[in-house]
Amino acid sequence: MYRSPFKHLFVRTTAVALTFAALIGSARADEPSVTAVLSSSEASVGEAVQLQIQVKGDRNAGAPSEILVDGLEIRSTGQMQSFEMRNFNVTSSITFTYSVVPLRAGRFTIPPQALRAGNNSLRTPELTLNVTDSPNPTSRSNRAPPTATDPRKNTFAELIVPKTTAYVGEMIPIVVRVGFEIQTRVRNIAPELDLPGQGFTKQKMRAAEGRQTIGGKTYTIVTYKTAIAAARTGPIEIGPVEIPAVVLVPQTQRNRPFPQNPLGMNDPALEDFFNDPWLGGSVPREIKLTTERVTIDVKPLPPKAPATFAGAVGNFTMTVDANPKSVQVNDPITVTAKISGRGNFDRVTAPVAADDHGWHKYPPSATFKQDDDVGISGTKTFETAVSPNERKDKIPVQVFSFFDPAKEQYETLRSDAIPIRVEGGAAPAAPAPTAAVTAAGAAPAASAPAIPKQQDILHQLGENSGAPQSFAPLFARRSFWLVQLIPLLLVVGYIALKVRQTRLNDREARRRETLQVEAAELQRSLRRDDTPSHDYFSRASRAVQLKTALARNIDPNTVDADLAASVFQTDEATRLRLRHLFEKSDEVRYSGSGQNGDGVVLAETRKEVLGLIESLRV
Amino acid sequence: MKHATHSWWTGIAALALVCAAVSFARADQDSPFARANQEYSEGHFQEAIKSYESLVASGQWSANLFYDLGNAWFRVGDFGQAILNYERALALEPHHPEATANLALVRDEARALELKRTPLERYVEAGTSSQYSIAASIAFWSLLLLVARLFFARRRSAALVSLTIFSTIIFAAAVFAIYSLETGSRGETLAIVTRKEIVARLATADSAGAVLALPPGSEIKVLSQRGDWVYAALPNDLRGWIPASGAQRVRL
Repeated sequence: MYRSPFKHLFVRTTAVALTFAALIGSARADEPSVTAVLSSSEASVGEAVQLQIQVKGDRNAGAPSEILVDGLEIRSTGQMQSFEMRNFNVTSSITFTYSVVPLRAGRFTIPPQALRAGNNSLRTPELTLNVTDSPNPTSRSNRAPPTATDPRKNTFAELIVPKTTAYVGEMIPIVVRVGFEIQTRVRNIAPELDLPGQGFTKQKMRAAEGRQTIGGKTYTIVTYKTAIAAARTGPIEIGPVEIPAVVLVPQTQRNRPFPQNPLGMNDPALEDFFNDPWLGGSVPREIKLTTERVTIDVKPLPPKAPATFAGAVGNFTMTVDANPKSVQVNDPITVTAKISGRGNFDRVTAPVAADDHGWHKYPPSATFKQDDDVGISGTKTFETAVSPNERKDKIPVQVFSFFDPAKEQYETLRSDAIPIRVEGGAAPAAPAPTAAVTAAGAAPAASAPAIPKQQDILHQLGENSGAPQSFAPLFARRSFWLVQLIPLLLVVGYIALKVRQTRLNDREARRRETLQVEAAELQRSLRRDDTPSHDYFSRASRAVQLKTALARNIDPNTVDADLAASVFQTDEATRLRLRHLFEKSDEVRYSGSGQNGDGVVLAETRKEVLGLIESLRV
Repeated sequence: MKHATHSWWTGIAALALVCAAVSFARADQDSPFARANQEYSEGHFQEAIKSYESLVASGQWSANLFYDLGNAWFRVGDFGQAILNYERALALEPHHPEATANLALVRDEARALELKRTPLERYVEAGTSSQYSIAASIAFWSLLLLVARLFFARRRSAALVSLTIFSTIIFAAAVFAIYSLETGSRGETLAIVTRKEIVARLATADSAGAVLALPPGSEIKVLSQRGDWVYAALPNDLRGWIPASGAQRVRL
């Protein structure tokens, strides 16, 4: 039988439309009403409770104005609209949520609050809240079942101690675990803890976070790890450990008086959604989680410890190496001993030589590389510089002793003798009759090496220098810088002298240059035939004076014929000719002869005078 | 008559000289240093140390004083203080032979650790800071004179230029040597561990990890100080914190 799809569609659309119309009509038909409720009528100071005001029948109702109650801090945390359908009777509602935090103890009344819903004015009922100073466990336990707002419900704290008996010095790993169910939001938790208790060495415990599923629930796990070592025998108590934390507490509760599912459906998913505590906001709350106390019985170490035992307790292995393996006498050799395992590494000391005769040993250096979080297991490396005082063929056997708590006995590790080659120096002396096994950190009498024979220091000096000496370096002393004034003055004086000399030299050079120019000019004028006779001989004598002055660096005005002749070392005939020239010049200058226009000097005379002047050479 | 008068004055002068000599000798015997030496020779080492220390406190420092004080500390078995005072003697007189010998001996006895010296440092230590200072001073002023001479010279001879370069090199080398000595392992920050059972640590706490055990007399180089702890360069090229009271600087 054929059924038209269009008919089917029409029927379904009509049904949905009618249903929707009925819903709208029903919703609009209800009269608005208001209810108000506190999540709890009892609270302690600082403990938040929730106030919810629900208006039914009008989703557009306005929120009440600010709610003011002396002693209570009331803050709005949000609003939520909902529909509810029962037997095709649909109602809408709006819920206003508030956080109420009591600031002091007492009985408080939240007065009726006025709201507008359409044209109606509504008033909430009066509410009462009893506030106590501190939480009352008895009263709280009598309440309705713990709600999601009780943060301690979903947490746990435990102190894990792997053994209850131990030896003195034995390292015991300690773990403190704190778990928060996954929906509990942890805002803050102590980053490190101090392990309470006495009689053991301890270190701060640092937090590490992870997740773990326990009993089908997922927890956020915060783990604190450390290791302790008992310092005395007898029972020692560890804990209880208190872990402060701040968690965010949701403001809604599962047991709120409103319908848990506004639509009235029994759908778990919807129920979870509407009951999500974080929909209504949250407030931080400080909580303190506490573990149980644990007692450990500490036993003393057995007697008859080896001489090389220095307090190491645990389980260890040792490797030893030495470098270089070929040295001269008194050269250093580095012996590297690595002690690995698990135990109290702070008491693990460098292995000692079974026989250190003929060896000079220096204090060892130590480095520790831990393999875990708390330093129980790892490798401690000792580097010891030793130098042979004589020829040796091997490094002494290294000995390390410890107490093994698992075997409950002392163990002694011995390295192999490492062959080396030592050159120079004396042949090895006979070994000591008894091996001087020493223990680092043991009693001084046991560790003191045999000193062959102590050399003595040199004698006292009876002389003490007069002036006190100073540790200050020479350049930092005032006297040093004062002494520098002497060379400074010398240098300044030298520079001043040089400057003066330069200036003088410059003046002399200029003078000589002037004389040279004048001499050259005179030479040229003497060669010309237009020079008047009364001027010619004075110029000629001046030329001789200039030439002599330039040759001897003297004043030209002081030069006469004899001086010129001696400067140029002329013969007697030239000397006479020079005299004649200077006399002629004087005669013309002083008597005025030749100034009456007797013309120019004869060419022959001019040639003779020029020849005389040019013949003057040094 | 004249001859008799002359002899008279000569006698008076001789008597005055003898009196002055006796007085000087007595004053020398009564000096704190002589008394300290006397106490030492009598085996009263603690009293001798007190006397020497009083001289040190009064600032009358000398290499011999610190050397003798080091000997006294050695006699009472305090190797750290002995080494410290030998080092002080050598800081005042780097070539003090007795202090050098005793220091080596006590170091060996105490098994004290020494700071590692670089080859350059060992080379530079052939001279002292004072010698390098004088060399630097002479080279500097010679350099200035030569530069002035070059400036004023008409002809710059090769010898003059060579001398100038040589002075520059000497000056630079001397300054570098002074810097190396003062900032090196034997510089002004050198200190000696004087207390027993000193352990250099990774941090300023007794519970911090150990870096190196330092026997008394070991050398350290103080790098900085924080409260009661000093951060120091240690032997074996290590660094660590040690209690400030556990070491004393060599230079006062």
